[in-house]
Amino acid sequence: MQPFILEATDRTPRIEIIPELGRIALSGESFPEDAATFYGPVIDAASTMVAQAKTLAIEFSLIYVNSSSMKALYRLFEVMDERRASGECSTEIIWTHESDDDVMQELGEDFKDRFPELSFKILATE
Amino acid sequence: MTPPSDATPFDLYARENALLAEADPLLAEAASGPLTDYLQRLVKQYRSTLRDNLQLTRHSDRQQAKLFDFNRNLKKQSEELEARRQAFEDLSNKLAKYLAPQVHDAIFSGRQDSQIATRRKKLTVFFSDIQDFTSTAESMQPEALTDCLNEYFSLLTRIALAHGATIDKYIGDAMMLFFGDPESRGVREDARACVRMAVEMQQALSVLRQRWRSEGFTNLFQTRMGINTGYCNVGNFGSDQRLAYTIIGGEVNLTARIESCADTNGILISHETYAHVTDMVHVQERPPVSLKGISREIQTYAVQGFKDSQAAHKLVALHHPAGVAIDVDLAELDEPTRLLLAQQLREALQQIDGNW
Repeated sequence: MQPFILEATDRTPRIEIIPELGRIALSGESFPEDAATFYGPVIDAASTMVAQAKTLAIEFSLIYVNSSSMKALYRLFEVMDERRASGECSTEIIWTHESDDDVMQELGEDFKDRFPELSFKILATE
Repeated sequence: MTPPSDATPFDLYARENALLAEADPLLAEAASGPLTDYLQRLVKQYRSTLRDNLQLTRHSDRQQAKLFDFNRNLKKQSEELEARRQAFEDLSNKLAKYLAPQVHDAIFSGRQDSQIATRRKKLTVFFSDIQDFTSTAESMQPEALTDCLNEYFSLLTRIALAHGATIDKYIGDAMMLFFGDPESRGVREDARACVRMAVEMQQALSVLRQRWRSEGFTNLFQTRMGINTGYCNVGNFGSDQRLAYTIIGGEVNLTARIESCADTNGILISHETYAHVTDMVHVQERPPVSLKGISREIQTYAVQGFKDSQAAHKLVALHHPAGVAIDVDLAELDEPTRLLLAQQLREALQQIDGNW
């Protein structure tokens, strides 16, 4: 599987899925016109990679996320959590938010609460 | 990697829908009973909640999209407003050079209307002009004349503004300004400020002329100044299309006449002005004079300098024959410098005496 990379636009985040590193990274703003159309290929590519991965390093550095994008992120977390539950893959998630952005901080905490078995670090950046 | 194409549109709720699809046939086959009844109600509620969630998400997305567009428009409008504000500020700064600062501030703060409107007010009016300017101009290269004239007006303008004068206009080599509008510190203080300004101007011009002499220009721009206090009409004069903020009236004309009678590098003031500065300056009373266009005889006074207690600073500018250049601003000297200078001058005096 080759890397899957989407550059950021003014409505969608930059996305990196790099199988040989076990890396998934999302950064920027996310409020696509059609979240299903945008995130469908992302979830497909992530699912394919996660199914084969032994270790996963996931990074989220999001600034703004609309409701449909949140649903898509829940879907991504489900994929990772299922892989973790198989016991064949170690997963580490780093959720970063700007230090004065309590909305993104709270969103990270909600995901952490929803998926308590995932290794989840929330970090504030300047 | 190219995103995989899929004929079936991606469904963010595919899992939930698949789960529900499993439930229906199972429940249809299940034996009736309390548990089946409960599961049927549970599935029904789950389906309803899922639909609500879908609708809420869709509406939320729409609201967020609206907010995004609103924010984007707001940002664009803010940028446009900032560009306009910057252009306005640039224009205002350019315009400021053509207007007296007080007038500029009054107009741009909204305190002054741009309508034809005047009022009668007691002002202290100042005129200055350069003696024999026409012949001086003919004897100088235009570039040198321009440079010196710019330096001359820059100096006088700087001093005028520092004293709070409203600069009415430059008329060739003459300058007309007044105190008392749009801002006034009272008639008496306006008159005193004007006289203080004039004395400082003559002192500064004396120093400037010394420097010009060292550059080869002898007795350049000898300046007469006239000051008078009286009622004038002040405000916006002109037409609806073009206005000038200025003053008119007999007292303005009288000031111009008084100025023309001033000594070379002197300041001549009217009796009305003198009444406000008697304790401030030494004057020499002049015989009453008849001035062109003025029916009565006019009493004037030549300003000799500040009385000691009123001296803003003392400035010594010695006559400069060839080989001599001594200018001293006593206000600039601290005690050690003053003592050192005194010692140096004593030594210089001994050398000069020795040469004799």
